[in-house]
Amino acid sequence: MVKIVNFAQGEFVMIGMYISFFLATRLGIDPLLSLLVSMPVMFLAGVLLQHVLIRRVLGLGDMPQIFLTFALSVLLMNVALLLFTANYRTVQTPYTDASFHIGGVYVSVAKLIAFVLAMALSCALTLLLHRTDIGKAMRAAAQNRDVAMLMGIDTNRVFAVAVGLALALAGAAGSLLMPFYPVYPTVGQVFVLMAFVAVVLGTLGNVTGALVAGLMMGVAESLGIQFIGADSGLIVVFGLLLATLALRPSGLFGGWAR
Amino acid sequence: MGAVEARASPRATRRPAVWIGALAVASLALPALVTTPFGMDVCVRVLLFAFIGVAWNLMGGYAKQLSLGHAAYFGLGAYTSTILLIRFGISPWIGLVAGGIVAMLASLPIGWLCFRLRGPYFAIATIATAQVLMLLFLKFRGFAWGAEGTTIPFLGNAPLMMQFSGKAPYYYIALALLALGLLTTYLIERSWMGYYLVAVGEDEDAAQAIGVNAPRIKRDIYLISAFLTALAGTFYVQYIYFIDPNTAFSFNVSVEAALVSIVGGIGTLWGPVLGTALLEPLSAFLQSWLGSSHAGVQLTVYALILMAVILWRPTGLMGLVSDAIRILRRG
Amino acid sequence: MGDVLVVRNLSKRFGGLRAVSELSFAVREGETLALIGPNGAGKTTSFNLITGYHRPDAGSVTAFGREIVGLRPHHICALGVARTFQVARPFGNMTVLANVMTGAFLRDRRVDAARRRAHEALEYVGLAPKEQALARDLTTIDQRRLEMARALVTEPRLLMLDEVMAGLNPTEVDQAVALVGQLAERGLTIVIVEHVMRAIMAVARRIIVLDHGQKIAEGAPRDVVADPDVVRAYLGSGYVHGC
Repeated sequence: MVKIVNFAQGEFVMIGMYISFFLATRLGIDPLLSLLVSMPVMFLAGVLLQHVLIRRVLGLGDMPQIFLTFALSVLLMNVALLLFTANYRTVQTPYTDASFHIGGVYVSVAKLIAFVLAMALSCALTLLLHRTDIGKAMRAAAQNRDVAMLMGIDTNRVFAVAVGLALALAGAAGSLLMPFYPVYPTVGQVFVLMAFVAVVLGTLGNVTGALVAGLMMGVAESLGIQFIGADSGLIVVFGLLLATLALRPSGLFGGWAR
Repeated sequence: MGAVEARASPRATRRPAVWIGALAVASLALPALVTTPFGMDVCVRVLLFAFIGVAWNLMGGYAKQLSLGHAAYFGLGAYTSTILLIRFGISPWIGLVAGGIVAMLASLPIGWLCFRLRGPYFAIATIATAQVLMLLFLKFRGFAWGAEGTTIPFLGNAPLMMQFSGKAPYYYIALALLALGLLTTYLIERSWMGYYLVAVGEDEDAAQAIGVNAPRIKRDIYLISAFLTALAGTFYVQYIYFIDPNTAFSFNVSVEAALVSIVGGIGTLWGPVLGTALLEPLSAFLQSWLGSSHAGVQLTVYALILMAVILWRPTGLMGLVSDAIRILRRG
Repeated sequence: MGDVLVVRNLSKRFGGLRAVSELSFAVREGETLALIGPNGAGKTTSFNLITGYHRPDAGSVTAFGREIVGLRPHHICALGVARTFQVARPFGNMTVLANVMTGAFLRDRRVDAARRRAHEALEYVGLAPKEQALARDLTTIDQRRLEMARALVTEPRLLMLDEVMAGLNPTEVDQAVALVGQLAERGLTIVIVEHVMRAIMAVARRIIVLDHGQKIAEGAPRDVVADPDVVRAYLGSGYVHGC
């Protein structure tokens, strides 16, 4: 929303996962509950991030933005590596291995909960963006920073909120993932790549589009794993991306890929 | 004076030919001064990664097409020459050129796909293509040995097959490659192509309005950049006698190519050289001091340096040099 | 003598908005045509359609007898149609001279020739003293001059100027008018989009008025200005320029 592609977004999910992990193992708090802790914490971290770093590279062009967030991503990954080592960490919860039967298919309870909550958060985000004043301010500032400022929007504050939200959601994602996904320093890489593909498929800047695309990708990946082989997930996703780029460069829902 | 004019950077000093000559002599004499194999290794790496940086810089620095997937061409070059060598017994010298051609051919469809996106999305698309290539080479063992990779058969001293017993010959080859890259950049910089590249990097639409065929320029510079990067790939395999998909298509190579150019001075002739001269020895030092116990330190340091450069001196080391010269002139 | 530019039934929608609708007009060789209309009338969009930055939904554009719809902007420039942008877009990190040299390379790839021609173009627009300055350090009006020089050095036969006079003070307007007049005298065909009435009356031989994407009037300046439809279109748009 801030019109900065944040390479470090995956790392924020990773941080969310580690927060969740430590809360679970040290304090025994269930990852889903830890949402309530990690989201505000990450929000504040986001505000700080915007103030210290992002603010300085707004409007400076591609190179600083790309490489700053990229450097941040590398930094976070490697600091995590130094602090937590490369070991895979998991959290066991009562529902981690639970699943139930629907029509010949096993549905994992943990993943289902994650799915439902993720959708809920997405809806909340969409509502926020379209129905509230701050949401509209964010969209305005994202479209044209100078005009927004002229209209009296404090773009710094608005961007801080946007970045804060981005981090909070990443933190939430981390908590949602913890019950069934291991955490390790580079776990964020896969996520950010997937997120990017979802954004491009769904047409840049279109939140609903990204959501739909994300769902499509999940389905495609599962189908791939079913019919092609275990680690074909990534290739299928990339294949989708490249095919889309070739056939409908503006994403699946129209609009400009610029 | 080409793009020196284009970007109003100050003329270095009187008679650059003298400086170039001195530099040439120094670099040719260097192997005689370096005593340890470790030291020589550092020097070779400096030259090699400076070359990779120069190749990247043509695209990323001048035309601002910020690719983070150049490892794709590094790997293609490496694999082409290795396959030709091991499966067909063809000398890596020929493999060098063959790898370059393969890379150029690959850059056409890759460019066609990726140039549809701009800015950070272009960058990520390039990352994706390098990853796809890595995945392909990991999966398919048929012609390329899959995940375990392979070693080059050791031939002792065999100059015709690009194998040497000492490190010095490798040093000179790397030096020659770097010289090639610098010469290419220099010639492009001062020709019409240099102006077109910078114009496209500045404002692609405005450039088109004055007759710059932006798509063609991007495609052409990508061809050149890919070719050069592939040469580095071939050299590297011959140097370390080993290849596997993770090494060949390593994201680190892509990153380092961009990193040394940015830290050294993006879009300048000597930028990548300065950047590598700073970063490679630093990394070698860190590695020997800390060993493999602290696995994340080197990259952490790299990341911090990159952030510092972007926040405080986006023009990189060359920017510092220009500023210093300007201050010296005044005072 | 013929029509340098022929636009036929040009149409373009953006989403639900009809930006340009069934626009047709022709520009004769050597004439200076002004395209005017209230804000949002579709003038710049027409420019973008003609010069290849957007694809029209329907219609055709021929330049020098050749269909140019679907051609890319650089190709159209090579054919002899040059344009400036409403907001100047210099290559900020290049010097003024380098900016214009970039344009010069279209016709001649030799660097020394380009440098010479660029210098001449800069002299013509009065920017020669600032040749070595970085383009991003120029004042707005100088950036406009730079745009002009850059366009001229591509040796166009048709020059399309998008609001070159916007924001200029009366003296500067006179200078710009004089420049355009000189270009017209040299035989250059010119299409200008403008709001500054004084300038239009001074340079334009013929005026076309657009409103909501459609042509609502066409003719000699005197007649167009008196046309009731035109007056109606402008009522309430509230800008004041001396006439």
